[in-house]
Amino acid sequence: MSDIRKWFMKQHDKGTGNGNASKPAKPSGAEKPAVISQPEKSVQESQESSGRRKTSKYFSKDKHVKDELEVEEVSAKRKAQRGRGELDSDVKPPPGKKVHKVEDEDDDEDFVTPSRRESVDATRSKKLKSGVGKGVAQNLIDESDEDDAGKTKSNLKPAGRGPGGKNASATLTTTTDMDVDGSDKEDVDDKDAKSSKSGGRGRGGRGTSAGGRGRGGGRGGFMNFGERKDPPHKGEKEVPEGASDCLAGLTFVISGTLDSLEREEAEDLIKRYGGRVTGSVSKKTNYLLCDEDIGGRKSAKAKELGFVFMFFHDLPYFMLAIFPCFPNIHIFVNIFNWIASYSTKFLTEDGLFDMIRASNKSKTSIQESKKPLDKVAPSPPKKSPQVPETKKQVGKHVATSVAVKGLSPAASLPKRKDQPTAQSGLPWTEKHRPKVPTDIVGNQSVVKQLHDWLSDWNKKFLNTDQKGKGKKQNDSGAKKAVLLSGNPGIGKTTSAKLVSQMLGFRTIEVNASDSRGKADAKIEKGIGGSTSNSIKELVSNEALSLNMERSQRPKTVLIMDEVDGMSAGDRGGVADLIASIKISKIPIICICNDRYSQKLKSLVNYCLLLNFRKPTKQQMGKRLSQIAKQEGLQVNEIALEELAERVNGDMRMALNQLQYMSLSMSVIKFDDIKQRLQSSSKDEDISPFTAVDKLFNFNAGKLRMDERINLSMSDPDLVPLIIQENYINYRPSSTGKDDNGMKRMSLLARAAESIGDGDIINVQIRRYRQWQLSQIGSLASSIVPAALLHGQREILEQGENNYNRFGGWLGKNSTLGKNYRLLEDLHVHLLASHESNLGRMTLRLDYLTLMLKQLTNPLRVLPKDEAVEKVVEFMDFYSISMEDFDTIVEISKFKGHPNPLDGIQPAVKAALTRAYNKGSSSRVIRTADLIKLPGIKKAPKKRVAAMLEPVTDPSAEENGEEFAVNEEENLSDTEELEDSADAEKQLQTDLESLSSKGIQVQVDLKGSGSSSAKRAPAGRGKGSSQATEKKGGRGSGSASRKRK
Amino acid sequence: MLWVDKYRPKSLDKVLVHQDIAENLKKLVMEQDCPHLLFYGPSGSGKKTLIMALLRQMFGASADKVKVENKNWKIDAGTRTIDVELTTLSSTHHVELNPSDAGFQDRYVVQEIIKEMAKNRPIDTKGRKGFKVLVLNEVDKLSREAQHSLRRTMEKYSASCRLILCCNSSSKVTEAVRSRCLNMRINSPTEEEIVKVLEFIGKKEGLQLPPGFASRIAQQSNRSLRRAILSFETCRVQQYPFTSNQAIPPMDWEEYVSEIALSMLKEQSPKRLFEVRGKLYELLVNCIPPDIILKRLLYELLKKLDSELKHEISHWAAYYEHRLRLGQKAIFHLEAFVAKFMSIYKGFLIETFG
Repeated sequence: MSDIRKWFMKQHDKGTGNGNASKPAKPSGAEKPAVISQPEKSVQESQESSGRRKTSKYFSKDKHVKDELEVEEVSAKRKAQRGRGELDSDVKPPPGKKVHKVEDEDDDEDFVTPSRRESVDATRSKKLKSGVGKGVAQNLIDESDEDDAGKTKSNLKPAGRGPGGKNASATLTTTTDMDVDGSDKEDVDDKDAKSSKSGGRGRGGRGTSAGGRGRGGGRGGFMNFGERKDPPHKGEKEVPEGASDCLAGLTFVISGTLDSLEREEAEDLIKRYGGRVTGSVSKKTNYLLCDEDIGGRKSAKAKELGFVFMFFHDLPYFMLAIFPCFPNIHIFVNIFNWIASYSTKFLTEDGLFDMIRASNKSKTSIQESKKPLDKVAPSPPKKSPQVPETKKQVGKHVATSVAVKGLSPAASLPKRKDQPTAQSGLPWTEKHRPKVPTDIVGNQSVVKQLHDWLSDWNKKFLNTDQKGKGKKQNDSGAKKAVLLSGNPGIGKTTSAKLVSQMLGFRTIEVNASDSRGKADAKIEKGIGGSTSNSIKELVSNEALSLNMERSQRPKTVLIMDEVDGMSAGDRGGVADLIASIKISKIPIICICNDRYSQKLKSLVNYCLLLNFRKPTKQQMGKRLSQIAKQEGLQVNEIALEELAERVNGDMRMALNQLQYMSLSMSVIKFDDIKQRLQSSSKDEDISPFTAVDKLFNFNAGKLRMDERINLSMSDPDLVPLIIQENYINYRPSSTGKDDNGMKRMSLLARAAESIGDGDIINVQIRRYRQWQLSQIGSLASSIVPAALLHGQREILEQGENNYNRFGGWLGKNSTLGKNYRLLEDLHVHLLASHESNLGRMTLRLDYLTLMLKQLTNPLRVLPKDEAVEKVVEFMDFYSISMEDFDTIVEISKFKGHPNPLDGIQPAVKAALTRAYNKGSSSRVIRTADLIKLPGIKKAPKKRVAAMLEPVTDPSAEENGEEFAVNEEENLSDTEELEDSADAEKQLQTDLESLSSKGIQVQVDLKGSGSSSAKRAPAGRGKGSSQATEKKGGRGSGSASRKRK
Repeated sequence: MLWVDKYRPKSLDKVLVHQDIAENLKKLVMEQDCPHLLFYGPSGSGKKTLIMALLRQMFGASADKVKVENKNWKIDAGTRTIDVELTTLSSTHHVELNPSDAGFQDRYVVQEIIKEMAKNRPIDTKGRKGFKVLVLNEVDKLSREAQHSLRRTMEKYSASCRLILCCNSSSKVTEAVRSRCLNMRINSPTEEEIVKVLEFIGKKEGLQLPPGFASRIAQQSNRSLRRAILSFETCRVQQYPFTSNQAIPPMDWEEYVSEIALSMLKEQSPKRLFEVRGKLYELLVNCIPPDIILKRLLYELLKKLDSELKHEISHWAAYYEHRLRLGQKAIFHLEAFVAKFMSIYKGFLIETFG
C-alpha cells in the first residue's frame, strides 16, 4: 500500500519520473520525516513560486499537464484493473487510497494552522529580510493607498505578500489579518462546523487581497458592459493552480473591472475549479468578485443583503492568535466560516487567486508531508521545530472538513469501480431515453399541448364525422395534424412517441429512410407497394380504424419524422402528405427541424405548430448529472452545464459526448469538457459577425492558428470586408501603454497594408483561379489585421452602436457602379451630340465642374425665363436629358460641401423641367436610346443610335443627299445597284414626308442597308454590319414616327 | 457650347499648337499608306484633337458622320459564352472604342472588333479595297492579355485596317505593340502656347483680358490646354469683367482632395482615419479614379510637408499606387496609404516637437 501511495505522490509533485525512481531512497519512518520534509518543501516552493512569478501564466500550463497526466494514469490504472477482471484486486487498492487521501487532508489542514500560529514570531523577521526586493517595494505601494478597510498596522502584511513563498506567505498574512480584523469586526453571530473548508480558503484569500486592492489603484465608477475598461494589470499576474474542486458549491458574481483578469477569464477560472458564476446577486451568492470600490447595482444589492466583508473570516484567526493554546478555537473558526458562507462577501481578484492557491498548497503540502512518512528522508533537517506539534494537532480538528470534501476524485474512485460494467452495449442515448413524458428535459408546456391535442383528437374529428362536418371543421383551432419543430436532439421524436404511448396509441413511424413519394394513383396497386400507398391505406381506412376503436384495440398514430427531409426522391411527398391529412382518420404527427423551410410552406397551414425550444443549461445539467450518477460517473454540475452550453441544447449530443468521455476517464472536470468540445463546438455555423467578433476579441491572441483560419474562412468574402470596415475601431490590447497613440497608429498602418495584401491575393485567386492561395489570402486579409489590433472596441462617431458594422465596401461599390452607368449614359449622349469627342474620365475630371456651373449658375442669377431658356439651350446642344442633369448634380455632390442645387428656387427648377419637356416634342433625338421597332414586341438587343436633326438644321438635307451619293458610289460595282437605289429613293421620300411633319430624319444609311430593310436578302458581302445598319435606319424612322 | 469644343481645330491646317506634328501627319496621310499610329502624351495636350483632324483629313467630312452604338458581342470562350457590351463610335470609315471599359474581357473585344472590321472592308471611290481605321483609346489601360492579342491581329489584318492607339503613357504599352506603330509623342503645350490660345479665344469671344490673367490660368492648368480653356470659361461664368487678381476656381474634386490632405495633416488618429475613409469613399463614388485621387493627394500633401519627409511619403505613395493597380478594391489601398502617412507623420511630429 505504501508503495502505491508513494508512487502516486511522487508523480504529483515532480511530474517527471514515475515512482520507481524515488524508490531506493525510501526507508519508512513515522513522524520524523514530516519535520524534515517541511523546510525542504518550503525552500523548494519559494523558489518555484518566484520562478513562476516571472514566467507568469505560461508556467501554469505545466502544472496543468501534470494534472492531466495524473488523471490519465488513474484511468489507465482503472482500466487495467478492470481488465484483469479480478474483483479482489479491484477492491483492494482503492480503500487504501482513500484512507491515504483522508490522511492527506488532515495533514494539510493541520499543517497550515499550527504553523501559522507558531511560526509567526520565529519566521517573521527572517522572512522579511529574505523576501525579495519586490516585496518591500510593494509594501510601500500598499501602504500608500490602503483605504478600504482601514487596516493600517501593516508592517507585516505586505511582507506576507512579498516573499511569495507559499508557506511563508500563509503564515505571515494570517497574522496580519488577525490584527486587522480583530480591530475591525466583532459583529458576528452564529456558526456551524460545516464549512471549515471555506474558512481555510478565506484565510488565504484575505491575506493578499489587501495588497491586490492597493495595487488596483484608481477607483472607477461602475462601468457598463460596453465601456468596461481594460484590467489595469492585465496579464501581469500569474494565475494560480489549485485543487480541482476547491470552489465547488460556491457562487460568484463578478462586477466591474478586475485587477488583472478580463471578466471572461475570471469566469473561466472559477468554473474550472467548480464554482458557479451567475449574473446577479442573490441570496445564494457567496462572493462578489470585484477589485474596485464599485458603486454599482450589484454591490449595492450585496450590501443590502447584509453582507460582510471578506475579512470576517479572519476574525477567528485573530482570536486564535490571542489564545494560541486554546484548542477549541477551531470550533469558533468553523462558526465564523459558516456565517461567512451564508452571506455574500466581497472578494478581490487576489483573494480569489489565493483561495485557489491555498487549496493547491494544501494538496501539495499533503503530499509533501506524506512522502516523508513513507521514506526516511535523508536530507538534513534544517529547522522548524514547530512542525511536529502541528502534526499532532492535526488529526483532531480537521477530520470534519475532510468528510465534507467527499467529492474529491480519489475518494470517489472506488465507487466508480464498484459498478464496473453495468452498462450494456446500448448507447446512452437509447438507454436513458425518457420513459415518461415528465422525464423530457424542458419544453414541458409543449409536451402538454401535444398531449391535449392527441387526447382530444378522436373526440374532435371522428365524432364530427358522424354529427356533421361543417361546424367543427371550421374550427380554426382544430388541426388534424401537428407539426413539431426544433433543433436536433431536443426530444421531438421522443416526446411524440412517449405521448402517444401514454395515451395508448400504437405508433407507426415513417422517416426519411422510407420512400415517401406520391402515392400511386391506382391504390389497387397495392398496399404492399410504396410506403405512401400504405400510408394512404392506413389513413383512409375508416372502417378499420373505427373498428379498432370500437373493439378497444390500440388506436394508431402516424408519426411522419423528418418531413423537411423529403427530397428529390420523394416527389410530391409534401402534397401527398397534405392530402393524407385532409382525409385522415388517424392523428398525424409531423416532425421537422426547420419550420420555416421553403418545402414546408404549404404544410404548415394544415398543422398545429408546436415549437420545441432548447432546454436551458440548468435543466440539461440536472438531467445529465442524474444520468452521470446512474452510470457511476463523477462529474460536477458546473462541468455538465458547460457541456450543455457547448452542445447548444442538443441532449443527444451531450449524452454521446459524455459516454465517449466516460470511456477514458471516470472523473470529468470542467477543463476536460472544455477541451473535448472545443473541436465539436465549431461545427455549428458561425455568422461572419461572430467570426469577426471572435477574431477581434480581447483574448483572440489565445486562439490557435487553425481556429483563426476556420473563423476567417467561415465566409471568405464577408469576413475580410467586415474586418476592413471595423479594424480602425479597435484599441489594440497588445500595445499596453500608449500615451500618444503612436503605437496604435503604426499598428493600423500595418493592418491596412495587410488588408491591401489580402486584396491583391484575392485578385490572383479570382482572376487567375489560384485557389490554393485562399488560405494565405484569409491570413493577410483577416487574421493579420485582427491579430495586430484585437482588443476593446471603441466608437469613433457620435451615436454609433458599439457593434461591428457591416462592410461598407459592398454598398459603396454598388453605388459606384450605378454612378458609372449614369456617367456612361451622359457620356454617350454627349458623344451623340457630335459636339465633343472626349473620354469618360475626361468628362468627369475636367468637364463636369464647368458643365455644372453652366447648368446651375444661370438658374441662380438670371431671371427665371431667361435662365430656363439658356439652360435648355445648353442642354439641347449637348443633348443632355433631364436625367443627365440629375446625374451631373448627383455626381458633383460631396459630403460636407453645399449641394449644387442650393440657392435654386424650386419654382425655377420646375420651370426648367417644364420647359425641357415642352421642347421635347420638337426635340432632336440624338441620343443612343433604346428604341422599339413597331411590330416587334421585344426591344431589339442592340441599342441603336438614332440621329435626327432638327428641321432648322440646313445641313441635314445636304448630308442626306451627300450620303445617298456616297452610297451609290459604293454600290457601283454591285449588282443590286438599281434596286437599292430605288429602295433608297423610296425611303428618302418616306423620310421627307416625315420631315414635313416637323422632323427631318437624317439617316446614316448605307444604300444596301436600307435596301435590305425593304428587301430581305440584300447585301451579300456585308452580312453583319448591314444588319446593324438596317436596324439603325429603321429604328430612326420608327422613332421619328413615334415622336410625333 | 463650351469653348473647348467650339474652338477645337477641325482640320490639321488650323491647329495652333503642335503645328509641326500636324504638318507631318498631313504628309503621311497624303501618301495613302498610313502605318499604325500610337499617340501618347499627357492629357490635355491635344492627342484626340489631332486624331480627329487626321481622320477628317483622310476621309473628308464623312468622318464626322458618326453614330454611337452600344455593341454587343457574344464570344465563345471554351465552355461558356461571354457577353461583352461596349459603346462604340463609328462612321463608315472608322470605329472608335474604349476597350478597357470591358474590364478584363477587353482582349475579346480587341480580337472580335478587328476581325469584324477585316471581314467587311470598305471600297473606295476608285474601286480599290480601302481600309478602315480603328481608334483605340486608353491603350495603357488594356490588360496585358489584350495587348498580346492585339499584337498578333495588328499584323494579320494590317491590310484591311489601321490602328490608331491613344494613351497617356507609352510605358504601359508593351514593347511589341509599340514597335509595330509609329509613335507620336504629343507634348503638353508650353505655357506660352496656352496663353496664345487663350488670347485667341478671348479675342474671338470679344473679351477683355487683363494682363497676366491668361498666364495665371496657364500656370494653374498644369500645362493642360483643355483644363486651361475650361477654367477660363469657368472664370467667365463666375465673374465678368475679369479682374487681374480673380481667383481661378479649382475643380470640385480637387478642392475636396485638398480638404482631405489638410485634415490628415491636422490630426493623426484612428478617428481621423475613419473620417478620411468616408471622404475617400465619397470621391470614389463620384467616379474619380483612385489613382488620380492618390496622385492629387500626394501633391497636396507635398505642398505642406517638411522636406525631409517628402521623399519618404512619395515613396510610399508610389508603393501604394502600384498595389492599387494590382488589387481590385481601391479603397483598401488608399486607406493603407493614409494610415501609413499618418503613422509616419505622427512619429515625425512626436520626434520633432516631443
